[in-house]
Amino acid sequence: MTRTRMPGISRRSTLALMGAGAMTVAAPWVARAQAKTIKIGMPTILSGRVAQLGTSSRNGVMFEVEKVNAAGGLAGRQIEMVIRDSKGQPQEAARIARELVNTDGCEWLIDGEASSGSFAVHEVARDLGVLCVHTCSEASSLTADPKQHIPNAFRCVRQGIHDSIVGGSYAASIAKAKGLKKWATCSPDYAYGRDTTGEFTLYLKRFAPDVEIISESWPKLFQPDYTEVVTKILQAKPQALYSCLWGGDLTSYIDQANIYAMFGQMEVFAVNMADYTALTVVKNLPKGIHSGNRYIKTFPTTPENAAWGDAYKAKYNEYPTNWSWQNATAVMFLAEAAKKANSTDGKKIAEALTGLTIKSPFGADGTVTMRGDDHTLVGYAIGWGTTIPQEPYVPEVKAGDWKTIFELEAEWKKSKGYT
Amino acid sequence: MTELEAGGAERLAPVRNGTALHRYRDVLIALIAFAVLASLPLLTGSKALLDFVIRCSAYGLFATSLNLLVGYTGLTSFGHGMFFGLGAYSYGLIMQKLGVPIPVAFVATLVITAAVAAVIGAICVRLKEIYFAFVTLAFQMLIHSTILSWASFTGGDQGLRGGIPRPVFLGIDLANHVHLYVASCALLILGLLAMHQIAQSPFGYTLRMIRDNAARASFLGIDVWRAKLTVFVLAALFAAMGGMVMALFVSGAYPEFAYWTISGEGIFINMLGGVSTFLGPMVGTVLLLLLNDTVTRFTEYHGIVLGIVILFFALGLRKGLLDFVAEWYAHRRDAGEGR
Repeated sequence: MTRTRMPGISRRSTLALMGAGAMTVAAPWVARAQAKTIKIGMPTILSGRVAQLGTSSRNGVMFEVEKVNAAGGLAGRQIEMVIRDSKGQPQEAARIARELVNTDGCEWLIDGEASSGSFAVHEVARDLGVLCVHTCSEASSLTADPKQHIPNAFRCVRQGIHDSIVGGSYAASIAKAKGLKKWATCSPDYAYGRDTTGEFTLYLKRFAPDVEIISESWPKLFQPDYTEVVTKILQAKPQALYSCLWGGDLTSYIDQANIYAMFGQMEVFAVNMADYTALTVVKNLPKGIHSGNRYIKTFPTTPENAAWGDAYKAKYNEYPTNWSWQNATAVMFLAEAAKKANSTDGKKIAEALTGLTIKSPFGADGTVTMRGDDHTLVGYAIGWGTTIPQEPYVPEVKAGDWKTIFELEAEWKKSKGYT
Repeated sequence: MTELEAGGAERLAPVRNGTALHRYRDVLIALIAFAVLASLPLLTGSKALLDFVIRCSAYGLFATSLNLLVGYTGLTSFGHGMFFGLGAYSYGLIMQKLGVPIPVAFVATLVITAAVAAVIGAICVRLKEIYFAFVTLAFQMLIHSTILSWASFTGGDQGLRGGIPRPVFLGIDLANHVHLYVASCALLILGLLAMHQIAQSPFGYTLRMIRDNAARASFLGIDVWRAKLTVFVLAALFAAMGGMVMALFVSGAYPEFAYWTISGEGIFINMLGGVSTFLGPMVGTVLLLLLNDTVTRFTEYHGIVLGIVILFFALGLRKGLLDFVAEWYAHRRDAGEGR
């Protein structure tokens, strides 16, 4: 039997190839045809263990984008968000960021990546010169290190160093009042955990010099069983414990430590507790855990903040996370900058953003600022309080003092060789 | 040691007649392939397509080098991704810390990789099957953990930050997208050509014999351990080349490059494309990246889609795509000749 048709690529892959080819060719046309709208690309993590990072970031962005669009858009252009999943892989984040700009015609980027992914997107912004606002990465070096600095990238995120300064001074005041001298730490074993814990103890000892760290535990990130860690801490008999575990790790840790009645035996300082993702998931939230504010609608205690939290919950059927307010704030900044520049040109927006102060429900004094010299967010509400097992979970939060934060941050930057 | 020491692969008579002709044919095909790829930027302005080919080069080099182990030698490595990561990190660190010209960093990376692969390989290739797979996986996790813990040197989980410098050399500016594209294509084609030469050489046929019957190879006087170690180091070199292309593409190196998921993707690519044909992994690479890029555009439930595709290949075809096509073609040709 002879047939003229030569076997080659299968029909299935031919179709896939043709589809991909058509899309590649068509995409710039589509982008040009819709030039009246402004496309903003957003790589973030929508699948896997920290999918909540991406979904609540997306919600935060969309919540504000809809408001901006309803009010006439950015300098007359409606916003269209293009949001894609990077699966938490930096090479995917880089690829998607490039694709969003090069193929989908996105003019700006909102970077909803954490840790290594944010640095990968930062390099794309450096390469392509596109305006980029980081909204999830809390690593201080992203903006503090002058090697990272590029004129077109901004960070609209709280920072590890700010949290540590406020946490250290708050914890020191409690330590002095209650005579807590023996401390233990328990934090995840990766850069964020090590750095944040180191900085916290640094400032704790600075404000309360007779504090002593008698035990350190470094459980792995996403560790399922904390029995070993809990018993180690109990055996050391500290008077207080610091932890920067977060999300699912923190909630499993608390559930497991509850079995050993740990929270009755020492004061616990968990910087990432006061976030609804943790507060609402823990089975028996112990009373009196000290925590930094991530997002809580009772702090700042303004009607604007409470209204924002309630409206968000009404829309998405869950409370906002720390990432929600940061992403929402990024959109607010972009909208204000577009108004100020009366343009959507990336360069003009970058100029307008530098040093810009806007009204915000999340500001310590009702405003937040994009600091000019390192393009990072300052002036946001930051404080510590103690938990109760039911809403409002953290009824009273003691606000941190931004003057102290600025002084100690400048000192810290010098010690790191950043200035 | 039970293997006979006497003799080596070179004692085997040339397996095929006209090898020289084949070699020139391969070079010709490689030149044509390179010419076609290099002329793409003239035909299309799509930067996404160029990005796609750059990523195909990185993963293609990696997956094809894995096939040297899996398909040709029967060594199923679960830790091959460590050399991908090692290549990316060595290259990035050398460029960031020493600021040497790119070709120097390239060669230095290959030397480092060869040294590390020789040590790891010397331990691993003595083991068989599942033990080999697990020990390679263990070494991969060791390298991954080292990258994470040695934060002052490697940047820990945040990776090599601040961009990798790309100074101009011989008129080639890798900061230029088209230059980077052409350079990646050149590395891919050179790598594939070199790996094809290895696979078609007497040494390559020795590897196949070891895969099919290591004891017989040993009785024929082949030093099995040395042959396995050699191919382990060679495969590591090409994986490191893939890692360097990736580091150039993202202008950084991240611990995920050395994580087991990269090795898993390599195995998956080989399953998709097929391990019994030389170009199978390359076909698998294109398929996987196409699937990944198109599926993630439309849904965040890409895991389900990719899972179904794996099932289709594992249960439906029971082999990779190119294996399937090659067998089907051979079957038809035989049937045609039979008439």
